[in-house]
Amino acid sequence: MVSPQSDEDLVANILKGEEDAFSQLHDRYRHRIHSTVYRIIQDAAEAQDATQEVFVKLYRSLSDWDARKARFSTWLYRLAANHAIDRWRVRRRRLETQPSEASDREPAQERPVGDAILTPYGALEKKESIELIRRCVDDLPELQKKVFLLRYFQDLKLDEIADMEDCSLGTVKTSLFRATQAVRRAVRRTGGVR
Amino acid sequence: MRRPRTRHYTEEELLLHFLGEETPGVKAEIAAHLLECGECDAIFAEYGDLVGKIQAWAVPEVPDLIWQAQKTRLLAQYRQDYAGGRRGGMISSFLGILQSAWNYALENPLPTLAYIAVAIAFALERTISTFRLDRILPGASEVFEILRQVF
Repeated sequence: MVSPQSDEDLVANILKGEEDAFSQLHDRYRHRIHSTVYRIIQDAAEAQDATQEVFVKLYRSLSDWDARKARFSTWLYRLAANHAIDRWRVRRRRLETQPSEASDREPAQERPVGDAILTPYGALEKKESIELIRRCVDDLPELQKKVFLLRYFQDLKLDEIADMEDCSLGTVKTSLFRATQAVRRAVRRTGGVR
Repeated sequence: MRRPRTRHYTEEELLLHFLGEETPGVKAEIAAHLLECGECDAIFAEYGDLVGKIQAWAVPEVPDLIWQAQKTRLLAQYRQDYAGGRRGGMISSFLGILQSAWNYALENPLPTLAYIAVAIAFALERTISTFRLDRILPGASEVFEILRQVF
């Protein structure tokens, strides 16, 4: 069996113009990139477009990645989060000027997978708390949003995020705490947390 | 020897402890405190519950067919960009910069106008002094002055 190539090898081969390496990198990271992008943009169709754009940006700026400064995955998540935040700003502005579009489209997109068969009370409660969390995250300041999503969903360590964002570890810790507090307050208001 | 802790831990410290991100060296101390302090332990448990709720936020599945279609488009673009070797890559990078600048301008129209005005004013000043336009066009310096005062 052929062992999978490391990220570093794939990057070197992509820079040489090897399509297969780029294809492998797409297979390896598409779900993780999409999940970060989706949670920021919160629109299924736009998240797919944005994921594709991240991969285009990825190979165009690949020579900027410095292996001594950050792991490849950390660099890539940053690229994805920044791109998603740019798209989210544009989307938010558009929704503010065309509120009917927001009310027409969002309920269908917010529906979790397999929602149609979730009838027990526990499932409903879970859906409500996820909806609250989703709204809270949408309203978070950009740094807090990035730290929150990268820590809770991509398992990046806080010191990695600090390096990635070029800010102090203390700032990142405070950002994560404030973001978590905002979610906690919202969930508490509805009695969702003990 | 460390003195026993007399105050409660802050919520931030408890959250960071839950995530294994506490300041190095205090892990065992917090763990011991939680065994003795019901109040901190309750907050710690609440954060555990909350983090569980947060991480239950799933992302809708994207069908494989969509991923395959996306990969096909990406590979075609990658092939096109690399067809001209580094030259293709440089053109793409340049277009990427233009695209980013355009996006910024759409999102921030006022600061963009201000940047453009400053650039024009700077260019005018340089143009007037380099080509001595004030001798040929007597009003050029006044126009520059007005622009400088406005911006």
